[in-house]
Amino acid sequence: MIAFQDVSLVYPNGVHALSHIDLTIGRGEFLFLVGSTGQGKSSLLKCVYREVLPVSGEVTVDGRPLSALRRGQVPFLRRKIGVVFQDFKLLHQKTVWENVAYALQVTGAGSRDVLRRVPRTLELVGIAHKSKMFPYELSGGEQQRTAIARALVNNPLILLCDEPTGNLDPETSSEITALLARINTKGTTVVVATHNQAAVDRMRRRVVRMINGRIAHDEERGHYHIGLG
Amino acid sequence: MMKSEGITILDWGKVRFFCGEVAQNFSRNITMALTAIGTVTISIVLLGTFLFLRESFDLVMSNITRQVTIAAYLRDDIPPQRLAHVVRVLHADPRIDRVRFMPKKEAMRQLRQTLRGKMNLDVVNSNPLPDALIVHTVTPDEVAPVAQELAGLSIIRTVNYSRRVTDTLFKAAKVFSAAGLGIVGLLFIATTLLIYNTIRLTVFARQREIHIMQLVGATRWAVRWPFVFEGVLSGLFGAALGVGLLAAGYRYLAPKLTLSLPFVPLKLASIPLAHLAVELLAVGALVGMLASLFSVSRSLQAA
Repeated sequence: MIAFQDVSLVYPNGVHALSHIDLTIGRGEFLFLVGSTGQGKSSLLKCVYREVLPVSGEVTVDGRPLSALRRGQVPFLRRKIGVVFQDFKLLHQKTVWENVAYALQVTGAGSRDVLRRVPRTLELVGIAHKSKMFPYELSGGEQQRTAIARALVNNPLILLCDEPTGNLDPETSSEITALLARINTKGTTVVVATHNQAAVDRMRRRVVRMINGRIAHDEERGHYHIGLG
Repeated sequence: MMKSEGITILDWGKVRFFCGEVAQNFSRNITMALTAIGTVTISIVLLGTFLFLRESFDLVMSNITRQVTIAAYLRDDIPPQRLAHVVRVLHADPRIDRVRFMPKKEAMRQLRQTLRGKMNLDVVNSNPLPDALIVHTVTPDEVAPVAQELAGLSIIRTVNYSRRVTDTLFKAAKVFSAAGLGIVGLLFIATTLLIYNTIRLTVFARQREIHIMQLVGATRWAVRWPFVFEGVLSGLFGAALGVGLLAAGYRYLAPKLTLSLPFVPLKLASIPLAHLAVELLAVGALVGMLASLFSVSRSLQAA
């Protein structure tokens, strides 16, 4: 589903974010990206949804090399990918329902489609009962559920989560991680960049550790401290 | 739009969403929206005033220059057939509007009338004035070339058309016209830049929203449309206010202007005001659209 072949990324300010990354993530896989802050986890995710372009190497998503993608084709790539952030990135003047519907409406979905898919997705993430509330009326966990619903409503093939539990208490974090696992069981490829040791250790899924923009360790059924001795 | 059994029907849900977004953005950024509208209004008032002055000047010039005629004085004892032939040829010339033969007697009568009370012409026994052809051209530009051609005819002794005055007037009109176009162009650019900066602020305030739209897969045009539509609306509102102010100013000032400048042949009624208003509304909408388009395009590059 996602393949990195010798990918290096340098930001315009000269920071080397990724160095010679080789990584393959299969369809329907669940993967944790771990490593301390500034090691390249977010940059790796950004390469997948083409927020940034590597200086060398190739990223392939669903069989499509991203370097060959024209600017006008990027939105169509992003409709295959849902992205969730630590700070939720919700629109505060819109209700939960409107935030989720927005992802469909701005991509030109018909109103019948919106009316069919939004309630179903809100139900899936367990936030349907708060659909008329505004983000500032919700807890952190509920806001993150809303963000996940927005990422999922387009039925993406891939769900990328950048520190999704970074702002949440342990109990809510484990609920969110459980939700991500449930989404994965429906066939969506899930990649989670995280510092949440408890979640990584409990789930025992594939774990990739990044150090200085390189993949230091990659282990099936890994734990949070892989590669740290 | 969605297609149903071969018939394209409007998806009202989409229309509602689009209009709702525009209305919400207007109300949420009301200060910015009012600033943009106010900027357009001021610019349109300036532009409209200038355009009005330019139209008035053009009108005055064309009224003055239309009164310029050519007096072609004839040699003595021209055979009537020869004169009739020349008049026929002049009538057929597309540049010439009217030709009138003025016999020397009539010229003398006019001279006496003009000089009545100023000079006593009773002492003049004979009539030294020649017969003349009074020629009106279709456009003022053609006065000089037609006069030159007339001067070359064998039956014409001399030609008079107050050359220095008309040439100066034409030159002034042309310079003013060209300068006017330049000033209109500069005002247009200045207006666009002013509104661009104002709208840029509203776009900047919504950078987060633009980023989210792009993240969820909105195309660049899907991001731009609401902003462009808002820009057009701001431009139209602003221009409508500006046109309203101009119309009020015109109703108040026009009669005073006509009264205070009685010697200027200014027929304000012949200025196409409705046309001018439509032009200003179109300029407002265009400027709003361009400014939004540039602003949001810069944000898309930054996102």
